[in-house]
Amino acid sequence: MEQQVQLQQALSNIERLTNNIEQVIRGKRMQIQFILTALLAKGHILMEDNPGTGKTVMAKTLAKSISGSHTGNANFKRIQFTPDLLPMDLIGSHIFDDIKKEFIFKKGPLFCNVLLADEINRASPKVQSALLECMAEHQITMGETTYPLEKLFFTIATQNPVEMEGTYPLPAAQLDRFFLKIYFGYVDEQTEMDIYRNYLGIQSNLEHVQQVLSMDEILFLQDETEKVSIHDEIIAGVKNIVRDTRVHADILLGASTRSGITFLKCLKAYALVNGRTFVTEDDLQHLTPAVIDHRLIYRTKEAKQKALASILDKELSRLSKLKINS
Amino acid sequence: MSIGKVHSWKKVIAQLVLLAAPTAVLVFYLLKQLNAAESVLQNDWFRQGCYFTGAMATAILFYSFRFRVITTTVILFVVLYFFYKFSPALAVGEYDAFNIQIQVITFCLLAGIGWLTGMGFSRWRFYTAFWSLLLLGLAIFSVSRTSDFKAAAIITSFAPVLVYSFYIIYMAELIRNMSKEEKYFSWFVVKRAFGFFVLIALILLSLYYLFQGDFNAIEKEWGGSKQGNYKDKGNSESMTRDNKDGTISNKDQTKLTGSLSRDQRLVFVAHLDNFFPDGKTPNPLYFTAYYFTKFDTLTQTFERDPNMPDNDLFTPDPSKIPLYFAKTDSNVIKNTHASVGRKIINTEVYKVFMAPGDFVAPSTSFFCQPIPVPNEYKGQYRSAYRAKMYVSELNSAYFIYNPGGNKQIEDFQKIRFDILRGVTNFSRLDKKFLNYYTFMPKDEEYDRIRHLADSLGADAKTPADKMLAIRSYFLGKDEFGQPLYKYTDNPGVPGLPSANKLTYFLFENHKGYCAYYAGATLFLLRAMGIPSRIAVGYLTEDRSSKNPGWYWFYEKQAHAWVQVYFPGYGWIDFDTTIPGTDHRDAPQPDQTPPLNMQQAYFVADGNVTDIDTVKKRMEMDVTKIIFHDKDYDSKVIQHIVTDVSLATVSSDTGTVPLSYIKKGMHVTAASYSESLKNLSSNDADSMKSVLAKMPKLIPIDEIKVLEPESQAQEKKKEAEQSARPIDWIRVLIVSLLSILWLVLMVFITPTFIYWWYRYSAATEKEPAKKAFKVYRLTMYYLNQMDYYRTNMGPRQYAKYIDGTFNTDFEKYSNIYQRLKYGPGELSPQETTYVNSFFKQFRGKVTSRIPYLKRRMKFYNIYNTIHFFTQPKIK
Repeated sequence: MEQQVQLQQALSNIERLTNNIEQVIRGKRMQIQFILTALLAKGHILMEDNPGTGKTVMAKTLAKSISGSHTGNANFKRIQFTPDLLPMDLIGSHIFDDIKKEFIFKKGPLFCNVLLADEINRASPKVQSALLECMAEHQITMGETTYPLEKLFFTIATQNPVEMEGTYPLPAAQLDRFFLKIYFGYVDEQTEMDIYRNYLGIQSNLEHVQQVLSMDEILFLQDETEKVSIHDEIIAGVKNIVRDTRVHADILLGASTRSGITFLKCLKAYALVNGRTFVTEDDLQHLTPAVIDHRLIYRTKEAKQKALASILDKELSRLSKLKINS
Repeated sequence: MSIGKVHSWKKVIAQLVLLAAPTAVLVFYLLKQLNAAESVLQNDWFRQGCYFTGAMATAILFYSFRFRVITTTVILFVVLYFFYKFSPALAVGEYDAFNIQIQVITFCLLAGIGWLTGMGFSRWRFYTAFWSLLLLGLAIFSVSRTSDFKAAAIITSFAPVLVYSFYIIYMAELIRNMSKEEKYFSWFVVKRAFGFFVLIALILLSLYYLFQGDFNAIEKEWGGSKQGNYKDKGNSESMTRDNKDGTISNKDQTKLTGSLSRDQRLVFVAHLDNFFPDGKTPNPLYFTAYYFTKFDTLTQTFERDPNMPDNDLFTPDPSKIPLYFAKTDSNVIKNTHASVGRKIINTEVYKVFMAPGDFVAPSTSFFCQPIPVPNEYKGQYRSAYRAKMYVSELNSAYFIYNPGGNKQIEDFQKIRFDILRGVTNFSRLDKKFLNYYTFMPKDEEYDRIRHLADSLGADAKTPADKMLAIRSYFLGKDEFGQPLYKYTDNPGVPGLPSANKLTYFLFENHKGYCAYYAGATLFLLRAMGIPSRIAVGYLTEDRSSKNPGWYWFYEKQAHAWVQVYFPGYGWIDFDTTIPGTDHRDAPQPDQTPPLNMQQAYFVADGNVTDIDTVKKRMEMDVTKIIFHDKDYDSKVIQHIVTDVSLATVSSDTGTVPLSYIKKGMHVTAASYSESLKNLSSNDADSMKSVLAKMPKLIPIDEIKVLEPESQAQEKKKEAEQSARPIDWIRVLIVSLLSILWLVLMVFITPTFIYWWYRYSAATEKEPAKKAFKVYRLTMYYLNQMDYYRTNMGPRQYAKYIDGTFNTDFEKYSNIYQRLKYGPGELSPQETTYVNSFFKQFRGKVTSRIPYLKRRMKFYNIYNTIHFFTQPKIK
């Protein structure tokens, strides 16, 4: 019963967090929810969009909204990826301590709670893989010592869609590490007008972001995510979608089983973000493009527009006509 | 220099396999048939087919490259022309030259057409349509030329072309639209072609099934004329036909066949009031039913022509005329144009096996009056009529068989030919009339008849002499003293299949029955320029000396003879059929004639309004009466009451009991009662005043029932049906009804589904299931209203609907989704919300869509189909 209360509390905090971030990032509720989904599912998120759409601010606000255990708020780090970046710049390096006469490990920016990896596709593959390995393993091994990362470690990576010179596009295997890939997009006309009117207020909002959620609460919610109930038919829906991507004539590379598991994790998290303890068709509809799309390789540009949508529509049609079984 | 391609190789192969190959097969088939029919083609169909096919295939391959169509075709035709022009130089002899010429022409023609066809398939989109039309036209032409009217024959010559035409147009379009990316094109084509053939087979089978009866009827009507086989019993003909009710009529047409079957049934008995000037010797006249004025050379059939000039045929239906009432046609008299030697005589015909509607009388009849059969003969004769004729004094059945020794008849023969010799030419006749009645086909066969006619008529100066010359020719003897011509009912058929039966009869066989003699005489006369026609009816024989003027007619007396036109005297009967040994054998004994005719003083014609079989009373509404031989009629219906206690009732089939009369029947009632004899009438009387003189209960002795209404209608229907062998109206109605039914189903289905969903939602008790059913109903309703869910999740869709109609579907959707996937039951408020949801929801939706638009959308079957189809993965 106590847990119930706590859950309710946490859920309302999530709502508050969403609202909180929305005060700074206007008109991006959907994206905020996706980011929180990735956070609760213990995953990482890749955002792709043009510069200046608010990706960095988003990450910053998120970090500021979470109250850390020792410092004032969650530890936020940002790395700007450049072609000459080295893995050491991320992980940290051993440096010689003159006093102790030994090498000590100087932690890199990865040892934080929320990491913003800006323009990830500009770094060399070596750096990319170093980051992605950390994201997957949640620890860094240097020589003989293993350094665990923070308990709450959440990466928001961004990349620019424009094919620029000196970029190293992420291979499919590495894209797979990101639970979600979302497009930030421009805000609508009305919201943009609002932003221009109150940009000073918004900036001050960013500076005075309330800490609405504690790190512990997030960890608790991450555990709670596992307990969200998911109907067998929804699981069947995930299975169908994943399998359909493999047989579709216009998809060269379909979704893997790992992506199916990721999908289920994200569905549960997304339900929680929406204040529910059960997964619905809507969750499936909203998440499918974000979770699946970046894992697929399409035959044509046209297929990229249509293939997944038609697979999803077929599944939604099936679920919508499903008789309730109680 | 490389030449670009117009079509991909795949397309060229498809054209070769799917267009060229079937075309080649059809052309081979057609050429084979053509070779069988035309000897000039020298039976070389395989090589000819190869010319065509080769040219077509080459053209398809050639034009798959980017060659100019017009230029290349012109060059090809110039080359072919020069080839044709200089080919005789290759020949050695004259025969060889002709032979080569023929071969070169066939080659040029077929290769040219083949090349054009290949080019059309490759380049010209509408070529297949023209090509099909050309082939269909050829097929129709060849079918119209055949005399082999068999359903199977017509189908085999027509169906392949028809099926091919549909196929080629369809397939050419399919191949034209084939795109390069199409991966499964061959499989797609196979599927389509299969579907096409199934469809065609269904159409052809159903057509054949639907019109099978008609096909058979046509076959029966027209077919069989070419297949002569006198052993075949089915090939024997008769001069009469049997009606459905067991009666006999003369045939509307007659054709020359290998054998004739004859029966011994008594058809009718007649009294003819025609005597030689001595007043004692009866002068029999042939009884005419129809005239055959036309001859169809193809089927060798003599036919009636309703449009013959100066139509003098009187064809009343005695069964339709009320008893004692008469039908007269004075046009007939006018059309005879006979002013000399004509008199009016009477005949009474008592029918036995003759159909009730038939009318026969010596020519030229103009008057028909049904009379009752006297009571004591009612079992013997079914009905009777009296007829009046405008008869030529020169007419007589005695023409060929002169009973020797009767001076009266011999003198008559001599006198009449002397009179007829006065007619020397037909120059005064109307050209149209003369041309019509002297028409004969112009071809070799008939030229032989013309030569014969010239030789026969060489010495004869007048038409009458020519006529006699023909008679003498048929009666003549050959060099061995044997009769040149013989009468037989089984003349057989000519050995050569193409030979004409008539010429075979005249020049080789010299055996035949009346239709042969009549037909031969007709053409001999027409060759001599004498207007003539064939009359059919009954031969009259005077066999009884006991009752002069009475004649008995048996079925074997059904006959055909010739009538010759003499200006001023009109049509004169002229029979050249020679007596046969098997012809007039064993004459049937004549019986007692139905004498003692009663005088009817009063006759009333009208409908029965009441009949009382106990009191023997019959009430009638009458419009026509006869009183003391005077006709009265009135537009006002008069009501009479009659006493029928003494009456005998008869219909066309014979005597019937009084109870046969039903209310509403059309009857004629006659009275012979002496009590009416003394009532007199004068000229001033009207129908009303005559009836006023009648006793209240008019005694009736004779009632004749005209065809009851229902039967008449049935007959009418039957006639209509037989007049329209292919009942297009029926086909039309059936297809219209089925289309209507289909349309109705299409319109009703969405509503039915809606009703069902509504009903099942309303009757569901369990909340969870109810929630589902209401949701399904809502989804269906919105779908019918054109608001598809496509590509939307439930919540998104609900939001979209709410935004459009200001409803709270999202709330419902959330409740339903929670119920569907989440834990927990419906709360009481939610239950009531679910229960009342659809009604208010629908109210809001309907208020936002105009009525007409709503209906239009709701009845759209496409929406329903969309609702039930699983979206496809694209």
